[in-house]
Amino acid sequence: MAEILVYGAVISAIYAMLAVGFTLIFGVARILNLAHGSFYALGAYGVYALTADAHLPLFLAAPVAVLLVALFGVAVERVLVRPLRRSTLAVLMITLAVALMVEQVLLLIFGSEARNVPSMVNATFHVMGADVSGQRLLALSGAIVILSGLWFFMQRTRLGSAILAISQDAEAAQYMGIPSDRIYSLVMGLSAGIAAAAGVLVAPFQTVIPGMGLLPLVKAFAIVVVGGLGSIVGSIVGALLLGYTETIIAFKISIEWSQIVSVAAVLITLILRPAGFFGKRAAF
Amino acid sequence: MSIHRTDWLGALVVLAALALVPAILGSTYVTGIMTVALCFAMWAASWDFMSGLTGRENFGHSLFIGAGAYTAGFLNVNFGASPWWSLAASPLVAVAFSLVIGFPTLRLRGPYFALAMLSGAAVMQSLTIIFSEYTGGQDGLNGLFPFFDSELAQYYLTLFFLAATVATLRLVANSPWGTILRAIRGDEASCQAAGINVTFYKIASLMISAAFAGLGGALYAHYQLQVGPDLFAIILSINIIIMVYVGGMGSIYGPVGGAILLILLTEALRAFSEYRLWVYTLILMLILFFLPQGLVAPLWRRLRTIVQ
Repeated sequence: MAEILVYGAVISAIYAMLAVGFTLIFGVARILNLAHGSFYALGAYGVYALTADAHLPLFLAAPVAVLLVALFGVAVERVLVRPLRRSTLAVLMITLAVALMVEQVLLLIFGSEARNVPSMVNATFHVMGADVSGQRLLALSGAIVILSGLWFFMQRTRLGSAILAISQDAEAAQYMGIPSDRIYSLVMGLSAGIAAAAGVLVAPFQTVIPGMGLLPLVKAFAIVVVGGLGSIVGSIVGALLLGYTETIIAFKISIEWSQIVSVAAVLITLILRPAGFFGKRAAF
Repeated sequence: MSIHRTDWLGALVVLAALALVPAILGSTYVTGIMTVALCFAMWAASWDFMSGLTGRENFGHSLFIGAGAYTAGFLNVNFGASPWWSLAASPLVAVAFSLVIGFPTLRLRGPYFALAMLSGAAVMQSLTIIFSEYTGGQDGLNGLFPFFDSELAQYYLTLFFLAATVATLRLVANSPWGTILRAIRGDEASCQAAGINVTFYKIASLMISAAFAGLGGALYAHYQLQVGPDLFAIILSINIIIMVYVGGMGSIYGPVGGAILLILLTEALRAFSEYRLWVYTLILMLILFFLPQGLVAPLWRRLRTIVQ
């Protein structure tokens, strides 16, 4: 029981990090980003390459990897997405092309076998009667810090207000002098950075393989549908729902079945409440 | 968008050329590759009928392909039915799948549909692993019977069904039905205002698309003599979408050309097989930026004006 509580919290936190970025870039720029899972994979591989190949200390490698992936996200938006933004389909296809490209590059450089990333915290902690590795607890607290930071940034800063304004009405915001193109790049970088941070935090206890981004993409989508596309609060609630349901099923039935839950959740939500639980309320 | 006499002529020339391929090149190797290419052509054309016409991108077409192929596998391997039964059963099962997934998802706008289909295919793939005692898990079902013992007969059977598929889909696309589907792509709200039952048309077109995809799945299964979870894989749907983009969306015949072209290209690049997806991705990017109308369909339109 205690295990379910703690492990569920860790998984939910990771899911929330992925889903928030996915929903953010959709809510603000209307970009349905199929490359979102690649940012997560790039984060994990980035920290692996920086520690194993460039011999950076782990606590330096982690922020550098996140920063590099964020810059990559900005570059993708600038170079590839922006010229095609007139057509939703073209944007969907170009982000798909980026996802395929990233997976192929990772495959070429690192090969298909799983890579091991050393833990940042080696201790094991005893929480409410359950043994949890320090890395999982670090992932949980890292996620909480990053998500609260994001909330503060969106609610309390000028730039955050600009992003919210664009998400509510891009045209009106532009008339008010908000440079929408620059905001789109920024949000893409932000969402890529958060996904990469999730990848960095889970790399020590997840299998790091080139195709590792696909499942998180499906999960992020499931959460975002349940929570309402474009709603940050919704995606956090959705992440908790999905994270705990999956953990309960993984403990009580089997891991394989837990993978089905996310998609079943999508279908049920789409039937019962297509806008999601927190959707239809502007963007956030 | 009407069909010209020149179009029929062009179709006949292409059909004759495809029929002569084994006679000219003569090797069973080439015939085998072409049989696979024709299956992909069938999947690409059926994808284009729903997604190209209504503009709702289906990222889980492999769901219907896999459903059709596994139906063929179960009937043939577990129940010992003759392969010919698959030709009827596979499309039916694929249509059933399209109803189950189409009803909740097709009422929704583009992005939801795309990703919901993607998730649907992903779930089916993991279900084949979970129920591995029935589905054979990662190895799939083996030992299916072919339709004919000769490769050549298999090829002509596939070619016959491809021609029938393209002709049917193209005729429907040119009927008032197709006009309505294209109108839905243009502006769904206006269609609804004009009293058109948009949901009905979208689901019906998904059913038709699924039926032909399932048929292609059965043909493929009885050619490969094996079905596996890869037939549900998302990458298969994505390959099909790239083929459609190369061919030219919404034209039905374009994707057929795109599929054959890309499969032949894949074979030509066999020595660099680990770079195959690179090539596909690069082609997709080039098409998106420089040829948004695709390659095959605009080429034919230009050729047609010259002929006329």
